[in-house]
Amino acid sequence: MAKIELVNASITFKTHQRKRVSLKEYLLRGLFRQSVNPVMQVRALDNINLSARDGERIGVIGHNGAGKSTLLKLLAGIYPTTGGTREVEGRICSLFDITLGFEVEATGWDNILYRAYLQGETPRSIRSKMNSIAEFSELGAFLNIPVRNYSAGMMMRLAFSIATSIDPDVLLIDEVLAVGDLAFQAKAKARMRELMSTARLMVIVAHELDTIREMCTRVLWMRHGQVVMQGPPNEVVDAYIAAMSATCAPQTQAA
Amino acid sequence: MLRHLSAVWSARYFLLALVKLDLRLRYRRSMLGIGWSLLNPIAMTIVFTVVFSQLFGDGDPVGYAAFALAGLAVWGFLRDAATQGSKALLMSEAYIRQSPLPYTVYTLRTVLGQAIHSSLALVVVVALVVFWKSDASVFLGLLVALPGLVLVLISAWAIATIAAFATAFFHDTAHLLEVGCQIGFFLTPLMYRRSMLDDRGLGWLVDINPVNHYLALIRDPLLTGHFPPGEWYVSGFILTVALVGLAVGTVGWLQKKVIFHL
Repeated sequence: MAKIELVNASITFKTHQRKRVSLKEYLLRGLFRQSVNPVMQVRALDNINLSARDGERIGVIGHNGAGKSTLLKLLAGIYPTTGGTREVEGRICSLFDITLGFEVEATGWDNILYRAYLQGETPRSIRSKMNSIAEFSELGAFLNIPVRNYSAGMMMRLAFSIATSIDPDVLLIDEVLAVGDLAFQAKAKARMRELMSTARLMVIVAHELDTIREMCTRVLWMRHGQVVMQGPPNEVVDAYIAAMSATCAPQTQAA
Repeated sequence: MLRHLSAVWSARYFLLALVKLDLRLRYRRSMLGIGWSLLNPIAMTIVFTVVFSQLFGDGDPVGYAAFALAGLAVWGFLRDAATQGSKALLMSEAYIRQSPLPYTVYTLRTVLGQAIHSSLALVVVVALVVFWKSDASVFLGLLVALPGLVLVLISAWAIATIAAFATAFFHDTAHLLEVGCQIGFFLTPLMYRRSMLDDRGLGWLVDINPVNHYLALIRDPLLTGHFPPGEWYVSGFILTVALVGLAVGTVGWLQKKVIFHL
């Protein structure tokens, strides 16, 4: 049973215009009220309600900075809620930022292990998967050398092969991943489709509206951290396109 | 807290694999490999025996070397837990942004690596004491020191966790810790014996020094093979509980905020 339940979920965090606060400033701020580095309150997600059960395919659309990726990270448990509640049941596979966090001095084989352990595998469960991961990545003998020497494309291949090796209940995808060269892209797409069909519950963030239309059972349109509209794909996507062209039209005329 | 610990436990394969990697990387492309961890205390022993025992010793060069080496191993472990541990969260940002593991996994990673490194220095101490006293009572001492070793390991994890969270918010913490450790080194009876301070009426400096509680529980039994007085166990235990409490408080307070500050 896979389940997503967000009730009034919000993420608010404070940040400073200059990124760091020094200890000196922190202490002084108490004495002299005026700070040269004012606090900015960022409301990344604002009262999101989302309830999804087995079999649903949810698409998230919206312009850049609308909070789509933040929503995915919240679902994955990486960002905490600062208000409301988050409940996700089932094994999560998240496909975003996958090239981060390689131990660059270790070999490809070792990195497969680390990643797999990070995803909750055990030494016993990983043994049977190692070879299929290696095979899918097509890196062959390169797996014996440190990841430091890999090209960006090779890292992406390895990361994708590991990340998609588990059988997830909940699949979280950010954008369509451009993985490696043409041949690998086709393979990756096939693997994604397979994952999407086996995962019980999926949330995908994408800018390609046609993909969203054909794939999803429900679409979430976000703006400024809030859900503008939620419903059947065609309805929401049409409304989104209408709203976009309404705001973009004057600009195109001016140009 | 129990749920937190069970989450750490479920990440054990990940954690141990990375600790192993850290140890391997520490001596990457060096000829001696892990031998350097042993050579370092051995070289120190020579210096202590030949030079420093003349300054601080009591006519027993090997005994003094064992004393200094054991003290430095414990001290170095706690120092590294604070200074290296303080960077743990910043250095693990990539993992933190990818996986919902509890943050204390990353501080435990640095602490476990240093624990293995420091225990090699203790191996040299044990060898020295066997040679020095030419009896095997040191193995009894090792057994007696065991509770102290467990306490110091737990404390180091707590210290590293507190330091790591503090550093994520204030980068100055790392520098403060280095200065603090420098001062601590001279105020702690590591190179000199406690009696030197007692003679000058400065014994209270040792009593209020938290590091000394761990030294009393580890260094002294290792060298003598005797149980330290019971009150040292009590105070060491209370100190450890206090540190753990502080770490639990820090994690509870900041774990929902820290990701926005990395």
